[in-house]
Amino acid sequence: MKSYPSITNKKTIVILKKIQVYSLPILLIVALALFTSLSPFFFTATNLTNIAINSVDLALVAAGLTLIILMGGIDVSTGFAVGLTAWFVGTLLNNDLDPYLVLLIALLIGSFIGVINGSLTIFFGIPSIVATLGMAAIFQTLLFIFWDSTDLFSDPVLPFLSGSGTLLGIPTLIWLTIVIYSSLHLILSKTKFGRNIYAIGSNLEAARLIGIKIEKTRIVVSVILGCMVGLAGCTYLGRVGVVQAYSGNELTLLAIASVVVGGTSILGGEGSILRTLGGVAFIMVLNNGIVISGVPSIWNGLVIGSIILFAVSLNGLVVILERKRL
Amino acid sequence: MNFILTSRNIKKSFGSTHALRDVSLNISKSERIAILGANGAGKSTLMKVFSGVVQADSGSMELNQQFYNPKTPYEAISQGVSTVYQEPFFFPHLSVLENLLLGKRMPSKKGLLNSKDLIYKASELISKVALDSKILNKKMGSLSLAEQQLILIARAVEQNTTLLILDEPTSILTGTESERLFNIVNKLASSGTSVCYITHRFDELEKVANRFIVMRDGEISGDINEANRDKILDMMGTKESFDILNTSNSKLNSKKPSNKDGARILSISNLTSNEKFEDITFDVKLGQVVGIYGLIGSGRTEIAKSIFGELPINTGTIKYKEKLFNPKSGKNSIKNGITYLPEDRKTQGIFQFLSIRKNISISILSIISSFGVIKSYSEKKMSQDAVIKYSIKTNDIENIITSLSGGNQQKTLFSRLLTSKPDLLILDEPTRGIDVKTKFEIHDKILEIAADNTAILLITSELPELLYLSDEVHILRQGKIVSSYSKQDLNEKNILSSATGI
Repeated sequence: MKSYPSITNKKTIVILKKIQVYSLPILLIVALALFTSLSPFFFTATNLTNIAINSVDLALVAAGLTLIILMGGIDVSTGFAVGLTAWFVGTLLNNDLDPYLVLLIALLIGSFIGVINGSLTIFFGIPSIVATLGMAAIFQTLLFIFWDSTDLFSDPVLPFLSGSGTLLGIPTLIWLTIVIYSSLHLILSKTKFGRNIYAIGSNLEAARLIGIKIEKTRIVVSVILGCMVGLAGCTYLGRVGVVQAYSGNELTLLAIASVVVGGTSILGGEGSILRTLGGVAFIMVLNNGIVISGVPSIWNGLVIGSIILFAVSLNGLVVILERKRL
Repeated sequence: MNFILTSRNIKKSFGSTHALRDVSLNISKSERIAILGANGAGKSTLMKVFSGVVQADSGSMELNQQFYNPKTPYEAISQGVSTVYQEPFFFPHLSVLENLLLGKRMPSKKGLLNSKDLIYKASELISKVALDSKILNKKMGSLSLAEQQLILIARAVEQNTTLLILDEPTSILTGTESERLFNIVNKLASSGTSVCYITHRFDELEKVANRFIVMRDGEISGDINEANRDKILDMMGTKESFDILNTSNSKLNSKKPSNKDGARILSISNLTSNEKFEDITFDVKLGQVVGIYGLIGSGRTEIAKSIFGELPINTGTIKYKEKLFNPKSGKNSIKNGITYLPEDRKTQGIFQFLSIRKNISISILSIISSFGVIKSYSEKKMSQDAVIKYSIKTNDIENIITSLSGGNQQKTLFSRLLTSKPDLLILDEPTRGIDVKTKFEIHDKILEIAADNTAILLITSELPELLYLSDEVHILRQGKIVSSYSKQDLNEKNILSSATGI
């Protein structure tokens, strides 16, 4: 008779969950410490402000994407959608349209994209990953056609949507991020609409049977993401000043990375938008630090990809172990 | 003595809960064992240790005198321990044929599958559970829960099984299907397989077992060879429910008088849905419990879902509150005061990632919020009240719903439905897979709700439940109402003979 060793899944789960919660702040601190030691230019007020300003497009897209992912969906078209919106915004500005009108049009373009993405999943039953993949290909082609081998240069839409605007000594783009994240956080945690998002992501069938308006919620969430995309198109143009054939495309992957590194479950139902902001900070610190410490930026993708896989594996592992426990 | 399975000093904890404290159990060849106990007594955990779903923290096992420590269900199955779970596990997108034969040695000629042989083999399998071979080409997901369960049993028993574990296989089956199952189980046992059978149904004890193991608080509290219900209940430690059960037979007849005077709230006339049910006519009054009983495939769940607006209706009319009612969607029905408790708690009921509080309040968010903002004080208070009112066992409403036992999850779903104060409540298998004590608590709640002038449409495959709760029962056979009984004519024999057509 042999006694077998104790295998305690529960301890593993507790540890993994702790890793899930604490890995982001720890990784962020490690990254900050590492880059500070590698370069004297990294941990300076100027550079950190720079990181914050350069984060704004990503932060906006990732905020909207968090809602989609919480609801159990995904969007892989955000990057090219930002580029396309930026192109429209620049073109309209160069035609001397009123800047406020341009801002409004940018939001409308974004909302329109949101309605299409949402409708494809709701009314045609296309899984959101496939629907948005198709849309991404369309946006990419459209941007390429409009760009027509000519880079489009433009001034910012409005001063507050550029890197140089400040309010109370703080860049307006940082204010914008703060306002968006606090409002969405309140919506998610305090409103019926927010609760419904979590419910749909947690159990779609149960949500339907207790009468939650699933179609409506999905469309509204898609439109919110669309507005974030439209706004990001404006801030992108305001920061960079030029639209090219591939403008914005890196945002697709980075936004998904920010959300999952933040600890929101890729399967939906669990997570928080404030943690997404942490994810954005981490990824932008990484981006900036790699460049500033003289590592060829070609390594960036490798690092970001590995980190996404790390975060998603952690999430998957907890799910697997919890399933075993039940 | 040669035991096919010996287990010594098995211990297992989940968090701070000791699911198994110190269990030793030996099983002989051909033994039929019923495993009894209240929810949380450790029955399922013990079976999961046997079948490799979870691993014990300490202790040892031997199967056929060989060291046995399955790390996965696959290891257990390949060594001869097969399990049919309470919640059916299968591949919904594959056909019944494919579900039956997956992972088995296929009949083949020169490496090619021969569909004729496959179908022959599969027909043979499902004839063991008395299902028709026409079902083979259907998608598994399109079958009813009970048909699925029977297919899974057919699948499990075919494997070369030393020990067959059945986790409440009859909790979703009706009378005839259960009988069919008992026959299969007994045949298997006589051919040398040992059977462990978890059950909450006291009416079937003699039919399934010749040894009765009772568990309480993670320990074996009794091991007897006769189905002595008094003793068993005593060992289960649920004195309280024993009293209820003991009196339930007399209670069945003497229960509260049938409510005949309530206002008519629902009136169904000639309701027909293609190939599901036809010409269904009945009324439900306020304060009344109307039971719908029928075998698998008789259309009972479909009728409920059609009234709720989840399935289409072809002809016939529904009058609700004396007005013509067109159930467009569940959403619309809820708005009109009709709520529905679905039959499958896990996939249709709970929000598994949300807390108990959020699971309770989700149905009444519009009532406790102003301009879309949830009033957190009201939400906490109403959830707290619900936890007390429905005696949901938890020390914190912020705990995640899956930390509760099945029975308490079901009570949570009840409180969710009832906080919205419906006029008509449709209950589909309200106590499926729930321990005796919680079952009685829920029965009392149902009667209380009815007495509070709510109309209740009850679909259940448990006869005692049907008899105890209903003021009126309609028996379905092949989609038609074959007979209806009012309270005083209700008895087990009438119902079964109408339902089976014997």
